Amino acid sequence: MENRIKDVMAAVFEISKKKISDDSSPDTIKSWDSLKHMNLVVALEEEFKIQLTDEEIVEMINYQLIKLIIKEKTNK
Amino acid sequence: MKNLKYSEILSLNKELCINLKSSPYRITVLSNIIVHQLKEILEYSLRSEGINAYVMIGDYDNIVQDSFKYKGSNLIIIFWELCNIVDGLQYKIELFDDNKLNAILKETKSEIDLVFNNLKNTSLILFNKFTSIQFSNSNINKNNLDKLALKLNQYLEEQVLTNAELVDIEKVIVKVGINSSLDLRYYYSSKALYTIEFFKTYAEYIKPFIMSANGKSKKAIIFDCDNTLWKGILGEDGFDNIEMSTKTKDGAIFSEIQCIALSLNKQGILIGLCSKNNPGDVNQVIKSHPDMKLREEHITINKSNWSDKITNLRQIAKELNIGFDSIVFIDDSSFEVNLIREKLPEITVLQVPERLYYYPKMLRENIGLFYNLSFTVEDKNKTQIYRQQVKRESVKNEFSNIEDYLASLELGMTIYEDDNSIIPRMSQMTQKTNQFNLTTKRYTEGDIRNFIMADDSKVFAFAISDKFGNSGVTGLCIIRFDNKNQTADIDTLLMSCRIIGRNIEYAFIDYLMNFLNNDKIESVTSRYIKTNKNEQVKKFYDKCSFSLTKCTDIIRNYKLSLNRYKPKNYKYIKVR
Repeated sequence: MENRIKDVMAAVFEISKKKISDDSSPDTIKSWDSLKHMNLVVALEEEFKIQLTDEEIVEMINYQLIKLIIKEKTNK
Repeated sequence: MKNLKYSEILSLNKELCINLKSSPYRITVLSNIIVHQLKEILEYSLRSEGINAYVMIGDYDNIVQDSFKYKGSNLIIIFWELCNIVDGLQYKIELFDDNKLNAILKETKSEIDLVFNNLKNTSLILFNKFTSIQFSNSNINKNNLDKLALKLNQYLEEQVLTNAELVDIEKVIVKVGINSSLDLRYYYSSKALYTIEFFKTYAEYIKPFIMSANGKSKKAIIFDCDNTLWKGILGEDGFDNIEMSTKTKDGAIFSEIQCIALSLNKQGILIGLCSKNNPGDVNQVIKSHPDMKLREEHITINKSNWSDKITNLRQIAKELNIGFDSIVFIDDSSFEVNLIREKLPEITVLQVPERLYYYPKMLRENIGLFYNLSFTVEDKNKTQIYRQQVKRESVKNEFSNIEDYLASLELGMTIYEDDNSIIPRMSQMTQKTNQFNLTTKRYTEGDIRNFIMADDSKVFAFAISDKFGNSGVTGLCIIRFDNKNQTADIDTLLMSCRIIGRNIEYAFIDYLMNFLNNDKIESVTSRYIKTNKNEQVKKFYDKCSFSLTKCTDIIRNYKLSLNRYKPKNYKYIKVR
């Protein structure tokens, strides 16, 4: 699962997968703006066949949190 | 693209960008909602067809100002979302009184006027029609939003520029389904209305316009016969037992297919047959089967024989003088379909679906491949023109010497100078001509009009007639002038391949050089830009007494001092 999240993030932010760590956030990834965040959300939803809520979208502010939220969503 | 995930499209698009070397095709999207996800999806959809598209998204809700700023783009796409003309219009509109409603209508109309005025010289515009379908309630009566959409669309139809196409965005929404088209979550938080699925379908929907503007429309449709044009196998079931009439269930499907083919033929698409059959049997069906709709006069080329289909399709491309990438081939056999996809990958191959009742739908969904921005008289008469060509070829054999043959043709050339009445045809020639085309620049009708109107350029075209008939407008030259320095530059020179081999190109150059000379021009520059298809004219300017000034792998630059021009003076071509 982690691998798939990283693939999506790499494609959306146009960065190398290796650069993504637990701390990756809009502060460390330059291209992560509000429009790209929207792209990230729809790409993750498509990848994991889930629908994220407003609250979850707002919470997904770094890689670690994204992992947590996706894990929770896909276990249900 | 339908089966690709958004993240896959993002990655693939980036890879394609690195590999495409052709000149960029610049698209700007103007909109009053957030549509940024269209960028990569549209780029990918076009780049995978070899168009080096760069999509730029204008500022949010800035259509009027951006229409001025980006008017120089190759293509402008306009997303003018009704619900955001006024913030929250979809719910506020029911509370407005007539005065307020009229004010909104008037204001929007005048903004449309401004946009059209700014874009009147833009190469191509795709303008989405207004729609209320996203917020229409299920009440059978029209609400105020529906009425406003109707009125604005009516205005658009009246005012639309010749270089603009109105896009029926409702068709896209219907295809995807309203629920799957909209992401209301993002509409309320960020003014983004549409889903990835919508953008994918939208990109495919507008692709035919862009393909046509880039000279990539298909020119011919080639059918297998058995179980493709009729139900059954002619050689086994026999003349009387093949089905293609509305009287039987399966026959009705093939009758519909033949009617679709006929309508394509009416629009100038060439129809051919490529089938493993006894030629005599197929000819008999074409001539005398009572249910056959495609007759001799519709079929330009017929390769019904026992050779393999690769050989036959190669022959078809050669005889029609078109590239494989201009051909669509339809067959029912998986073996033939796979063979051709493998051996001639540039041909677009369609397979008759196993569930036969999907066949007409499949063909209809692919009609966009043949879409042509400019439809002209030449298209209407195309089958006839190609048939005259076959006649000429047969007369050619009777003469031992080619000059005698040419003299016998009674060739006449009519020149058109800055003629507004043939703009669609001239634009179309720039989009469709590949072989005898020195610079292969594609121009829309708007571009051609600009060349005609401008003081420092002229557009010349010619039509050719001979004793067998009239070929219509078949050649074009665009010249830019620098009168101060008494020089001129040939921007575009092209000729339809069906009139090659009659020295017409030299008669045209004779005429042009004489014109320039009379216009006090002293020297002319020109160039050949290499493409995959125009090798045959690589040395054309050398043959017209131009001197090569600079030469690379891709481009050959030329210059000619007019006093050194040696006219060819072919007496058997009468110029009018």
